[in-house]
Amino acid sequence: MAYFADRQYFDDPEAIKRGTEFSEGKLILDWYEIETDRVRCTPSDPRRGLTYEDCSKGTYSWDLLPEFVRHNYSMAARGSVLVPGLPDMGYTENRKSDIWADNIGELYEESKSRRWAPAVDVDWKALAATDFDPAVTASMCQLCTTLSEVSLVAMEFPSRWVYAINQEFLELKSLLCAQMMDQARAVEVFRKRALSSGGLKRASANVQQALKELLMADNYIEGSIGINLLVGSLLLGVYRVAATASTIDAHLFRRCQQDAARLVAYGMGNLAYHLAHREGRQEVLNEYLDSVEHCFAGIAGATEMLEPLIVIGGGGTEPGQVASGRARVASIYRVVVDEYLGRLATAGLERRDRSRLPAFFAAA
Amino acid sequence: MKVDFPSASFFEALNDRMAQEQDRFTRLGYFDTTFGVTVVGPGERRRNYLLNFEVYECMGAREIDNLEGEDPDFVLEADIAQWQDMLRNIQSNGGADTDHGINTLTHFGEGMKVIYDDPERHDKLFRFSESIQEYFDLAADLKIEYAS
Amino acid sequence: MSYLATSHFLDDNEFVDKYLYSMRTGELDLSWMDASTKDVHCTSANERRGLTFRDLDVDGYGFSDLPEVVRENRCYAPRGAEIPDGVPDMQASVNRSSDVWAYNVEGYVEEAMSRQWDATTDIPWAELQEAELPEEIGKAYAQLLTFLTEVEMIATDVPAKWMGQVNADFIEVKNFIALQAMDEARHAEIFRKRALSTGYGLMRASVQNEHNLKFLRDAETFSEASVTLHLQAEGNVLTMFRFSEYISPTDADKRMFRLVMQDEARHVGYGMQHLKWLMKHNPECRETLHAHLEEAENFLFGSIFANEVFEPFVILSGKGLKKENIDKGLVITGMFQMRQTEEYFERLDKCGLTDRRERSRLHEVYEMTKQGLAAQGAI
Ligand SMILES: [Fe+2]
Ligand SMILES: [Fe+2]
Repeated sequence: MAYFADRQYFDDPEAIKRGTEFSEGKLILDWYEIETDRVRCTPSDPRRGLTYEDCSKGTYSWDLLPEFVRHNYSMAARGSVLVPGLPDMGYTENRKSDIWADNIGELYEESKSRRWAPAVDVDWKALAATDFDPAVTASMCQLCTTLSEVSLVAMEFPSRWVYAINQEFLELKSLLCAQMMDQARAVEVFRKRALSSGGLKRASANVQQALKELLMADNYIEGSIGINLLVGSLLLGVYRVAATASTIDAHLFRRCQQDAARLVAYGMGNLAYHLAHREGRQEVLNEYLDSVEHCFAGIAGATEMLEPLIVIGGGGTEPGQVASGRARVASIYRVVVDEYLGRLATAGLERRDRSRLPAFFAAA
Repeated sequence: MKVDFPSASFFEALNDRMAQEQDRFTRLGYFDTTFGVTVVGPGERRRNYLLNFEVYECMGAREIDNLEGEDPDFVLEADIAQWQDMLRNIQSNGGADTDHGINTLTHFGEGMKVIYDDPERHDKLFRFSESIQEYFDLAADLKIEYAS
Repeated sequence: MSYLATSHFLDDNEFVDKYLYSMRTGELDLSWMDASTKDVHCTSANERRGLTFRDLDVDGYGFSDLPEVVRENRCYAPRGAEIPDGVPDMQASVNRSSDVWAYNVEGYVEEAMSRQWDATTDIPWAELQEAELPEEIGKAYAQLLTFLTEVEMIATDVPAKWMGQVNADFIEVKNFIALQAMDEARHAEIFRKRALSTGYGLMRASVQNEHNLKFLRDAETFSEASVTLHLQAEGNVLTMFRFSEYISPTDADKRMFRLVMQDEARHVGYGMQHLKWLMKHNPECRETLHAHLEEAENFLFGSIFANEVFEPFVILSGKGLKKENIDKGLVITGMFQMRQTEEYFERLDKCGLTDRRERSRLHEVYEMTKQGLAAQGAI
């Protein structure tokens, strides 16, 4: 795997000669003659700063990205002059419609702008002083254990592909890096939330099995709808319930919700772009979802996810509290499935009559 | 100064507070959504407001007859008693408690409805949820005159 | 290639029945409440800092108790959780602490989270709009920025490549590299945006340097990748950014370099603390590292062919293309390169790789150049 230089430069007379010439002030300056598109990008809205969209101009524009990127396998910045001899980085994601979305620039800028830091943006002192039912405290510790597992996989997903995506798709790679950070932040905050009030509980075999199936998708678009849309939609619902535990938790989980909503938004954008540019993909992706939607049930229905949600949703383990918790969770799961299928349909993938999830969650 | 709820001046008062708290909202980040608020009064009488947020501020809040023509990202709709209950809760706690946050009201029970056509634009409710809640929480120290 | 969960949850009657039973009857299992984990209540040691990873370093969960070889956790479970039967293997290939750990990594990861900034809003772009750069400065600067954009992109790929390989018990390291990926994406962003706002656009890609970058990316082990990326390459870039006083055409550009420098210093810090850790806990890898550094230095020497990087630097530091500018620029660039090399060896010394100097051909060249410059009275 190691990569080596084309020669031993220390023994190369040409290199020594070049060094001597430089030190004598003999410059080559061939690059100086290059003429590229002399754009001068400026902020279209000064309040917002200089966004990637503002910089998508002239020959540097993302609109000029071809469906098949064949001309550049190197790290050269898109729009710079490519010269012979650039290395091939071995990128395997070179087809725009597999990975692109029209909202990439917007989401990347939003993720930076709406960043937060768990250490200081959660009022840990007030949280410690909040009076919780002991069962709710334990449930929060369990829920945060489970959510740590989910967030870890949501962090692994983009990193698994960044390395394979052609550098021409710079803004997408940047968004995926932002998602890595967003999910690292989720991993951090759930760990802190649990360890500040009792510690972690039990990892979940079912949740992890389901996550691994989604993470290991054969190709990017399948992985993207699996993690960003399927898991992302579920997270939006789980966070809504978790936010009811206390006012501090409401702040905490709303922040997490914002980050998960960007996963979902990118997933929708990615799917919509893919379907708009590719014939006959509906059936392929429907079949894929036929095969993996059981993972959604595996995560949502896992004891380590379901039970703490019920206890938090109802405020305790007394029969009345459990009854109200069950009602809340049942309703949120139905809403989440409905929203998930609605998002797919809007992106161009109608499967409301096909998915087994509505029936599964209606049965409860 | 007292402001009536519901009224455009109520939202204008929130916007003034928001301008005063610019640092807080800047720290929360871009806030780009246009959404509607519908207050359903006695006899199904509806009063509609359109709130337009851009970058870090509210560019305008106005009362309009019909929200449909305005194509908002989503509409938060509840009857007047529910809105008043939420605002009173915000006022007594300095911010909504968990039962009175937008998140809870819109997803549990029939308290508040979210009306939308486009799931992608509906998701802005989630993408900007902390800013939206903190915007309503600005009502904590307004003097509100509730319509009966 | 697809992985299939060990159960198809919708067809798994036991799973479905249990779910429906809980939901219908309200009889919960709640066995997780008795998980065999430690009961802890971490609080912040310093409230102004908030609740940090260091505050979580407690019995049962802490990083201080990490063994050299992680044998117990192969799955996605957070460190310290009870691990039941049936969890999957995450297929991590990096399971030794000494392969990734660094002194103070928990501090670097907190610093990274709290010192995030935004290239879109933290630079006075409107002010830059007013700044007209003379043709030779503008072109040289645009060429330098083109190279910097190229460099930063590799630094997103490296952490991403290793993320999935690193055992979940090293969560502070995983989070650090996730944040590094974001830092580097922001660097690529700011250099691209600056290039596209100069009025000169992006210029020419650098063949010579790209092969070097590919070498950085394709290292066989995390430690090799780290010592060449974090310590050597980012160390060089850090020295370069510290020269930004000379090379920045405007105050806003100086600010840009200062912001990037903060991040870079953190990456170099991690790299050094990792190498120190490695030297202490797994000194046998010394020879492998020497071999890797030998090739890294070979590439470095070969970068003499990357005239599209050196020449802009000369022009910017001499502030023009006239003979007197070039002469001045060459002196400054020469000093800068000497400084870069010296700092590189100093860093290795500090980390315990003190014998690098005597084995290094780069160091030989460095000493010769130094003597030459001294003879000319230049230093
Ligand atoms: Fe960097
Ligand atoms: Fe770096």
